[in-house]
Amino acid sequence: MTRKILIIDDEDDIREVAALSLESVAGWEVITAGSGAEGLARAAEQLPDAILLDVMMPGMDGPTTFRELRKNPLTAKIPVLLLTAKVQSTDQRRFADLGVEAVLFKPFDPMTLSTQIETALGWS
Amino acid sequence: MDSLDQSDGRETAAAISAALERLWVRFLPEMRARVEILEAAAVALAGGTLSGAQRESATSAAHKLAGTLGTFSLARGTVLARELEQLYAGGDGPSSETAAQMAKELREMVEGRTTPAAG
Repeated sequence: MTRKILIIDDEDDIREVAALSLESVAGWEVITAGSGAEGLARAAEQLPDAILLDVMMPGMDGPTTFRELRKNPLTAKIPVLLLTAKVQSTDQRRFADLGVEAVLFKPFDPMTLSTQIETALGWS
Repeated sequence: MDSLDQSDGRETAAAISAALERLWVRFLPEMRARVEILEAAAVALAGGTLSGAQRESATSAAHKLAGTLGTFSLARGTVLARELEQLYAGGDGPSSETAAQMAKELREMVEGRTTPAAG
């Protein structure tokens, strides 16, 4: 099934590799945003099936962006997966407590990223 | 059908691999810039002039390298960068020798990664 995924990450290389991965491997439609603020706007306009959200971004970081997504009735129900290079258990607990659907880790394998998302969201 | 699926899978993997190589070439200047920040921080550490802002930049550069290098088949680079990030983010920070050695290794990995011939 074709899905529409929004990737919010301030790093161009991560955005492009993730988009390449999800488009080529899974055949999904991918839209991207380079900041939390842009991500909020894109999410409300495009209503994606899921959002892949970076944690550490300048300005509005991932957790703040997530809370703003949940405040907007248009985007409140969209599943959000955090994407982070933070692997310490204290960080992981903090992220899990936010209420996101899943936490995925960087670096990711471009061949299996879509499978990780499908598994986390019960799409497979 | 299975062999068709396998063939499709191989083609997808080859296409992804080729696209990743193009992205590596395109983003190599950013990778180098991140390593340069770590090299400069190591020099500043050795000279006792590392500022708070410079330490923050080094933490951020190491964090970004940690999140990216493994995706480009540099798993050891991710491990090193993650360790360096934690050292810069921690209380005492790395010793100047450790910081310099790890930055040097990251430089060698980034510069030594095989890239396809131009064209």
